Amino acid sequence: MEAQLSKYLSERLNCDNAVAIRNLSRIPGGASRETWMFDASWTEDGAEQNAPFVVRKDPPASLVESDRVVEYAFYSAFQGTNVPVPAMRWLESDPEHLGAPFFIMDRISVGETNVRNISEPHYAEAKAMVGRRMFEVLGAIHSFDWRVSEIAGVVQAPAPEMAWSEQVDYWEEMIGRNEISPQPIARAAIRWLRKNPPPPAERIGVVHGDYRVGNFLYSHEGIHGVLDWEMAHLGDPIEDLAWAIHELWHRDLIPREECIDVYQQASGLKVDRDALHWWDVFNGVKAQGIWLTGAKSFNDGRSSELILAYAAYILINGTDEAILRSLGRGA
Amino acid sequence: MKPEPQRVLYAMAGALGMLTSEVGSAFGQQTSGLSAALSMVLAQEWDRAASRLVEENVAVSGLLERARTLITDELLHARINEVVDRIPATDLRVTALQAENDDLRRLLADVHAAVDGVEGHEPELLNRLIWDELRESTRRRHLVAVR
Repeated sequence: MEAQLSKYLSERLNCDNAVAIRNLSRIPGGASRETWMFDASWTEDGAEQNAPFVVRKDPPASLVESDRVVEYAFYSAFQGTNVPVPAMRWLESDPEHLGAPFFIMDRISVGETNVRNISEPHYAEAKAMVGRRMFEVLGAIHSFDWRVSEIAGVVQAPAPEMAWSEQVDYWEEMIGRNEISPQPIARAAIRWLRKNPPPPAERIGVVHGDYRVGNFLYSHEGIHGVLDWEMAHLGDPIEDLAWAIHELWHRDLIPREECIDVYQQASGLKVDRDALHWWDVFNGVKAQGIWLTGAKSFNDGRSSELILAYAAYILINGTDEAILRSLGRGA
Repeated sequence: MKPEPQRVLYAMAGALGMLTSEVGSAFGQQTSGLSAALSMVLAQEWDRAASRLVEENVAVSGLLERARTLITDELLHARINEVVDRIPATDLRVTALQAENDDLRRLLADVHAAVDGVEGHEPELLNRLIWDELRESTRRRHLVAVR
């Protein structure tokens, strides 16, 4: 892939010679797209230039079926705002260059995404600060005026009273399309969601769709970049808050109530507790839809990514248990 | 005599786990670690899959038997009769037991939808028993922590 990247960048950068590609390596995780990092160097008007990049390439199949153009637009919209994101460089739909469509962005060279390290002793002093920052950044995402950004051109905004039902419809259809075996617990949860709708969204805002520890770069200094916008959409911001504190991945950086307090101050939204509970149940269903989509891809042979099989074996049952607890039906 | 698959899979998991620290790239380490974790999962599944499926298929069949007298929807009633009369079959391969399990749980989900929220002693009892079975179904699928 080095030669292909060199050719692609040489045609797009103002360079005197061919771009040299070094340190190309695949980034672990990235279950929705193949993510690679590399360093590029070239000379421009006789001066040597170096830049670290990340390329996000469409896979044959993945955990989620997402739109590259939409993801690129959400990243681009937040560039230069108080929500830190890497700068976007090139969006390429022609599969000829790398074997699949892709986009290239700058690589933020500070911070890490490891979900476990934040709970290690060497982060003991910074953990609470990162936790508070996590919910301040989430509030900033939800306060963002998407109407005057690239986002308005690539996705439709739901009506406030329809934000919940559009999401339930989408994930119910996704589960129906991808379940290898019947999912009676998810089906029962979907019935409950439809019988007990939440109040209309107080605000239609950007919903990251997968905002949690693991999808932002953090260090002892704070949060340096929000990543993985492949499930971003417009909707009820409480969906994101409920996802960020969902029991499947909440890391207890700060207590749950403090998460909500920090979020309310940063977003200007008043969190309705019934709505929060509704979105908690919903997020169990959504998580199940994600694991089932990956499991089907693996089972059908469209992907041999082991993380998809792992998610199916480990996470589907754990998510069923989480759904039962959120419905008050747990052990 | 040959080593049982479970023993082989656990040994593979151990070997892959040891190799993980020797792999140079982060992606390689993740792949090796996932391979080890999946080997441990499969070792547990290999030994218990038939037992779990037979136990669950009996439990769900019992609930559907109870539903036969309650369900008035003709189509759903006919589906219950068809499945309960056909199961259990004599094929004990895990794939055959899983296919039966899929049929039974698909039907259970529909019966659950039919009785959920319906007032009366019998539908409320069946609803509660179905919730109990769903909770139990997650316990049957528990795996020993693998990572």
